[in-house]
Amino acid sequence: MKIIATYTIKGGVGKTATTVNLAFLAAASGYKTLVWDLDPQAASSYYFRIKPKIKGGSKELIAGKTELDPLIKGTDFDNLHLLPADFSFRNLDLVLDAGKKPTQRLQKLLQPLEKEYDFIFLDCPPSISLLSEAVFAAADVVLSPVIPTTLSLRTLEQLKSFISESKLKKLKLLPFFSMVDGRKKLHISLMEEMQAQHPEILSARIPCSSEIEQMGIKRMPLGGYATKGRAIEAYQQLWQEVLPHLQSHQQK
Amino acid sequence: MAEIPVHFELPSNLNIEKFISRTAKKFPLQLTSQYYAVKTFYDSFDWRLYDADLICELNQSKQFSYLNLSNYSNEQLISRVDLENMPVFASDFASPVLVQQLLPLLEMRAMLQLSCLNLQCYHLNILNNDEKTIARLTIEEYESLKHRVSLELIKGYEKAATQLSEFFLESLELKVVKKPVLVAALKAQGRFPGDYSAKLDINFDPNTPAHKAIKTIYKQLLQVIKLNEQDAINATDTEFLHDFRVAVRKTRAGLSQFKSLASEEVSNRYSAYFAWLGQTTSLTRDLDVYLLNFEHYKASLPVAMRDDLNPLGEFLQLKHKTAQQELAAQLKSKQYLTPLIDWEHYLEKADKSIDNKLSIQEFANARIWKIYQRVIKQGSTINNQSPPVVLHDLRKSCKKLRYLIEFFQNLYPETDIKSVLKALKELQELLGDFQDSAVQEQALLQFKTEMMAGDYPEQTFIAMEALAQMLEAKSCQARSHFSKQYAVFVATRNRSLFKSLFVSKT
Repeated sequence: MKIIATYTIKGGVGKTATTVNLAFLAAASGYKTLVWDLDPQAASSYYFRIKPKIKGGSKELIAGKTELDPLIKGTDFDNLHLLPADFSFRNLDLVLDAGKKPTQRLQKLLQPLEKEYDFIFLDCPPSISLLSEAVFAAADVVLSPVIPTTLSLRTLEQLKSFISESKLKKLKLLPFFSMVDGRKKLHISLMEEMQAQHPEILSARIPCSSEIEQMGIKRMPLGGYATKGRAIEAYQQLWQEVLPHLQSHQQK
Repeated sequence: MAEIPVHFELPSNLNIEKFISRTAKKFPLQLTSQYYAVKTFYDSFDWRLYDADLICELNQSKQFSYLNLSNYSNEQLISRVDLENMPVFASDFASPVLVQQLLPLLEMRAMLQLSCLNLQCYHLNILNNDEKTIARLTIEEYESLKHRVSLELIKGYEKAATQLSEFFLESLELKVVKKPVLVAALKAQGRFPGDYSAKLDINFDPNTPAHKAIKTIYKQLLQVIKLNEQDAINATDTEFLHDFRVAVRKTRAGLSQFKSLASEEVSNRYSAYFAWLGQTTSLTRDLDVYLLNFEHYKASLPVAMRDDLNPLGEFLQLKHKTAQQELAAQLKSKQYLTPLIDWEHYLEKADKSIDNKLSIQEFANARIWKIYQRVIKQGSTINNQSPPVVLHDLRKSCKKLRYLIEFFQNLYPETDIKSVLKALKELQELLGDFQDSAVQEQALLQFKTEMMAGDYPEQTFIAMEALAQMLEAKSCQARSHFSKQYAVFVATRNRSLFKSLFVSKT
């Protein structure tokens, strides 16, 4: 089982679309896949038409009183399950802080699912918080969407230093460009500049596309309604780039 | 939560259209696909997949063609592999997954078509208010069987599945089905899964007169001969002829062991007939065995020599082809058919000339004990200097003893019979290794002589000599282990068991 967190400090950069679409591609290749919607905004749950509610809320869940498995829902796609969000997740930081060893809590909760799933995607809320630390402690890979703007570059640097300060040596940060507008010269030149400075940025570029926006109307992953197009090809390329990092990564 | 039934049969008065419309009134649903398909089930003649709790089913439509491998008992899917045409043998699957799963079970057995069903297939999603799929339905509308509905549960939506299942049972009066559609398809053909086995399994009443009871044995053996006959002629796979020959051999053993239960005329006529039948089919079977062992023969040689043996394989194939043609001609001849029909008539008739009052229990005890003592007598005279022929004679006696015990095994406690059979099998295996290796070595040298008249490379003869030496060494090794294995067979525990089973009741 490998855990992939999609994470940014900044919101609205295509994080949930990435989680949902990569999880769809993983499941479509036959991998048993789970998405855990940790964001109280519940966008992943919305895309899968699953009610953002879990019995007992975050308190019981984090306290370990509720097992994860009975809360998991099958999506409309083979091999793909979702652990829905709950509005109480807005207080996850507080709930984590109230317990023992808060940063190791998620890792412990996910352990019983080891044999059930090949991949678990954590869709995280945007912020740097105790929850982020717990997510980083549990994850093998952090996928971080970056919009080609100077401000985003600053955010990426913040994230890198946060991870490095947290001494998470095994954690692999994989940034990639998201919401790219190929017609904007500024985007192109910034991406070249940023990639020169940060060679770890993956080469797949997720376009800013109406096809992706349609996900909100269709309420399903891109692959559920489209088989061709720039957007789906970009996600396929991204998944192909991420997969070797997961296969070569040491088990936590 | 109680287990939710997932497989249903539609009552005759409910057609698919009505079923869908009545379900749709209660549960929002969406038809996702509908197509005409053909479902074909496969297994070996001796039901090796069914014995391993498997169903092998090829599903074909205009859009797809795939093979499903699922569990027989719970219909859970194990593998689904795209496949256009079904090969005859598991070794010929292009998919490594299928080869890995099926070859160890099927080995040399051909996969035969059990049943072919035409159907209209419907896939429906049951939706909630968010248009999220909360259960899936597959409807199979068969041309000649009752229509079936399968409910696929979706994790986290078990409550909806329960409601749906209750609605099917209570409102639509569907019936839960626990057996796969294959069972219904076979029933329509007058068959059932596992309806063939070459093994005898006869439950005798111990008090039945012996002369009546042995006819039941002969009848079952005749049935095996008849069931395998056509595919032995067609050479569908090697085991049809093998089962055919084993049944012939057992009949011969019966005719020699049960002489007192038939007239002299019957014994003489059919002993000669079944002996002829054994000889007539022997060359093809021997060549089958050499060809089945061929890869093993190659593997036993040094790597550099292995390919040198290939011309022997080609020679054996040619020889086999001729032998098979001759066998097919013999099994279609009057010389084969007429006595077999007479034999069948004889088995149906009451034999008034027999003046033997023994019950089958008394007869079995006495017969088994007699042959057991013969085995002991022959075995105890064998030492390291004894010629091969005495081991061969002992092997023949062991074979008779084995057949007798197998014929009558249901007259005795199962665990005890298993123990004596195990002890006997181990001794037989050793004697088999000794003799078969020696026979194969001799055959190999004979083939070499025949091949020398042809245009075969010298390297092949060198490889064949190396193989002959290897077989000789194997035979010698088995010979050297005889005393030890025989000592196990005649150990006090085994002797006591034989005595308690077959003497105390006489």
